[in-house]
Amino acid sequence: MPSPTISKKAKSSIHTDVPWSVLVLDDPVNLMSYVTIILKRVFGYSEERATTLMMEIHTSGRAIVWTGAKERAEFYVQQLHGSQLKSTMEKSV
Amino acid sequence: MNVIPTLEGGLSIEPENDADWMVLAAISTDIGRPSHLAESLAGLMGDDSEWEELVVPDLEQNFNVQCRYVQEAVESAREQSLRAIFIKAHNADKWYGALNQARLSLQARYDIHSLDNFEDAPAELRSAHFRDRFYLTLQGVLLEYVMGNS
Repeated sequence: MPSPTISKKAKSSIHTDVPWSVLVLDDPVNLMSYVTIILKRVFGYSEERATTLMMEIHTSGRAIVWTGAKERAEFYVQQLHGSQLKSTMEKSV
Repeated sequence: MNVIPTLEGGLSIEPENDADWMVLAAISTDIGRPSHLAESLAGLMGDDSEWEELVVPDLEQNFNVQCRYVQEAVESAREQSLRAIFIKAHNADKWYGALNQARLSLQARYDIHSLDNFEDAPAELRSAHFRDRFYLTLQGVLLEYVMGNS
């Protein structure tokens, strides 16, 4: 007769933070080529990706340029403000 | 005024008369108070009081440095009767930033980009429009010849 075994189920919970999105807004002053340079500098994007995002900002009036942890998003918005780009952040849905 | 790329990868601005010096001096006066821009950008973050306390002072300081740097470069060159103001590659960001502040400030004050026919506009507005065009041209040269390779 096999000896009884006691199994313990460990309770675990995974807490997932809601991701935040960094948005850049269009404005009539900042030059398109400057916006591309800043997106490359701040996020390390390729020329192609930065240009695509810049065009989305230009044509749609705004674009989500990055999504992730809140602290990182704050850091990126600070960098974008330092470069005089209109930007903000919001919870991703 | 001549604006010429240098072999070192910077720019040489060569004013030719008093009007050229005046428009260069206008960069810092058009900026006005750099803290306005920092506060305006912070407004995009809603009612985030920590942002106001922690981020805005740093931005203000950064924008002030750009403004003062360009103001001193122009004043110093004029006082010494230099034929040119040299913008070295590592200072291009400060110049670009100051020019951008001046253009953002003019836009906030006069809304010049929504103006259809500036020729019939008041003299003050026309003057603001031409300064904006000059700053824009200088920014374009900086981007094309100096900052584009950074």
